[in-house]
Amino acid sequence: MSSDPQENPRARDGRAPDVFTPGGWVPMREHDDADEVDFAIVGTGAGGGTLACKLAEAGFSVVAFDAGPYWRPLEEFASDETHQEKLFWTDQRIVDGNNPIKMGSNNSGKAVGGSTVHFAMVSLRMRPEHFATRSKLGYAVDWPIDWQEMWKYYAQVEQALHIAGPVNYPWGPHRPRYPLRPHPLNAAAEYLARGAEALGTKWTETPLATVSAPIGKSHPCVYRGFCVTGCTTNAKQSVLTAWLPRALKAGAEIRDLAMVGRIETGKDGRVTGLHYIRNGQWRFQKAKNVIVAGYAIETPRLLLNSACDRFPDGLANSSGLVGKNLMVQLNQAAWGQVKDDVRSYKGPPSLAVSEHWNYTDTGKDYDGGWSYMSQGPLPITWAKSLAGGRGLWGQALIDEMARNNHSVGLKMVGECMPDENNRVTLADEKDQYGLPITRITYALTDNDKRMRDHAVRFMRDSLQATGATECWEEMDDTCHLNGTARMGDDPATSVVNADCRSWDIPNLWVCDGSVFPTVGGVNPSLTIQALACRTADRIKAMAARGEL
Amino acid sequence: MAQKNKEEALAVRLVAGGATVLAVSVLSDSGMEHYRGSFRDPAMVLPLLSSAASIGFNARRAGAHPERAPDSEGTEISHLISTSIGIIGFGFHAYNVLKRPGGMRLVNLFYGAPVGAPVALTLAGALGKTADALSRNNGMIGPIDLKDGRVIAGVTSIGLVGTVAEAALLHFRGAYHDPFMWLPIIVPPIAAVSLARDAIDNVPRPVTTALLGTTAALGLIGVGFHAYGVARNMGGWKNWRQNLLAGPPVPTPPAFTGLAIAGLGALLLMRTAKKKRSHA
Repeated sequence: MSSDPQENPRARDGRAPDVFTPGGWVPMREHDDADEVDFAIVGTGAGGGTLACKLAEAGFSVVAFDAGPYWRPLEEFASDETHQEKLFWTDQRIVDGNNPIKMGSNNSGKAVGGSTVHFAMVSLRMRPEHFATRSKLGYAVDWPIDWQEMWKYYAQVEQALHIAGPVNYPWGPHRPRYPLRPHPLNAAAEYLARGAEALGTKWTETPLATVSAPIGKSHPCVYRGFCVTGCTTNAKQSVLTAWLPRALKAGAEIRDLAMVGRIETGKDGRVTGLHYIRNGQWRFQKAKNVIVAGYAIETPRLLLNSACDRFPDGLANSSGLVGKNLMVQLNQAAWGQVKDDVRSYKGPPSLAVSEHWNYTDTGKDYDGGWSYMSQGPLPITWAKSLAGGRGLWGQALIDEMARNNHSVGLKMVGECMPDENNRVTLADEKDQYGLPITRITYALTDNDKRMRDHAVRFMRDSLQATGATECWEEMDDTCHLNGTARMGDDPATSVVNADCRSWDIPNLWVCDGSVFPTVGGVNPSLTIQALACRTADRIKAMAARGEL
Repeated sequence: MAQKNKEEALAVRLVAGGATVLAVSVLSDSGMEHYRGSFRDPAMVLPLLSSAASIGFNARRAGAHPERAPDSEGTEISHLISTSIGIIGFGFHAYNVLKRPGGMRLVNLFYGAPVGAPVALTLAGALGKTADALSRNNGMIGPIDLKDGRVIAGVTSIGLVGTVAEAALLHFRGAYHDPFMWLPIIVPPIAAVSLARDAIDNVPRPVTTALLGTTAALGLIGVGFHAYGVARNMGGWKNWRQNLLAGPPVPTPPAFTGLAIAGLGALLLMRTAKKKRSHA
């Protein structure tokens, strides 16, 4: 049998890969398909992987499914952008709308650990007011959870991931000290800092999920710079290296290369388990509860694909909102040239951050907030930016690539508005598993565009204030996917409640970025993990009261 | 050379020995760190030269036959140069930190040139000069009388406090991830305070001797801990060429040892002076 983890499942025969030891294994508890496990979790990323750990540690029997392979980062990740595309979800999808989303790289992952295996490790908290934008700031909708509760869980996740962050965070209410000290700034980050100081705004070292001191079996970050193609040293605290080893130790089972195609519903209207394909065979796992954590495209896809006589519009969809209110985040950039050697690809890509425009509500002609970070694109990514974003080709592209060491840039993460027209639906075409693929329809709102224009102008000003010349703006990029199974207080206007429990089916849960009612101006991974920790606590409390 | 009793001679050897250990620490640490900095500024070679010279002169004074140590102008000049280069280095290092965006920000103090490090060279020079004076110039540097050990005790105490500050800052950078990282922050300050109290009261107490002895041992044990810290970096000691530079600096903890040994010399001088007083 081939040892290719993309061909043959690795987590089986009572063991799973030990990601910290070349060739090593750890014992894994296994369940029979006929065992009615407490929780079957779909997806092992920021939502599902975290929950698998928390629920297993609480004593529940857990099986977590992932369509992707179980990688061994120390052995199988190359310093090669093209090779590492193996981490992305590149299955077929249809994108349309006025601003079709580029799928398949920075916004999705197909691996055990999900997209955290290749995330940029940026671990920011959402501003308190951004959990109640309707009541506090007059736009979009409120979260059904109080910011203070979320901030409590942020602290828990920051501890679990050993976040390396600034000693004092310059924005928002007091937060506990980050477990580890910040990483050194690279030259690209220094340009953000100088620009911010020239414009009279604050900046800080980005809180990052990569360790700045040896912790457990993780070595300190070596500033290799290939973070977004997969960390080869395990300094990165991804779900693969941080939560899943704990989950396995606590008795969770991980099933890699196991694509879930359908959730089964019983006569009583409760879910009974799920159908998944592994080793070319469709199987059925019985479960008392199913938690869907496939991120904002695959989650609604699975819910919609699980339609049955009783729920003809898909599961948990009595509101009609499954798949709707998809939100990306704006990811536009400003770039320039400077005299000195920047070599921005050295170290983690976003070592400095400004949340100025997340915490400032004046001087804007739009709603919402955004942050911006220093950038460190790898060569192929940079070539794509220059060709696609700047229109360079041929000799002009080669010449510009040769000046890469002197390029410096800033990139935003901006809050897009929820809009029901931005949605995930099922197409007629089928994928390799025989499942209907998704159609992803997206258009930026006018508000989004006003934010984008302001942000690129501001970032350009910041670069120019540091002496950068030949500045240009990269206008067509987005990141992150959220919002297709919104949480709320009202079953008519939301898919799940504050506990991530679906309104329609009490033993069906959704816990990932799709439950976000709004996205804020920060990267979502920390918020997803905080939500997962909160959900686990809520499940424990409800189980203790016999309310599951 | 003036006739001295055995205890005084030993005290001089201890002060010179402390200066030697400090200089060894400076030579190996600045050698590694300035190599990491590619000797980008030619001046970065100066602490290597002066600490090497300092080792030569001080080791002979600390050795088994201190009477054979050279009493030339060269010795004087070497100590003066070490002291000066340490002070100038402090200025350079402070400039390196302050020129970074954010200036006196913690991240710059963590990762910029270590501000306190050059002062170790100044201390090596000062202690070397002190040992010289004690054995040659009737124990005087200008108007300062070193013979009763109190001034040396004071200088050593201040040096220890500075070294603790440096260790505290850099261990904070490592988030005190290993509880043993607290040891050099807890023990040497107590030793420094005890030594300062003895100097002020002019009473050499046995507890100070014990504390300085512990501090000296900690400096050596620290080498082991730092070596373990190097091993915890990617590739461990197999990748020593990178990890010696990336991990905790192996040569620095003995700075504590050097100062503690000099402090023990100061205490011995104080005890001798006390005996003389009581005989008088």
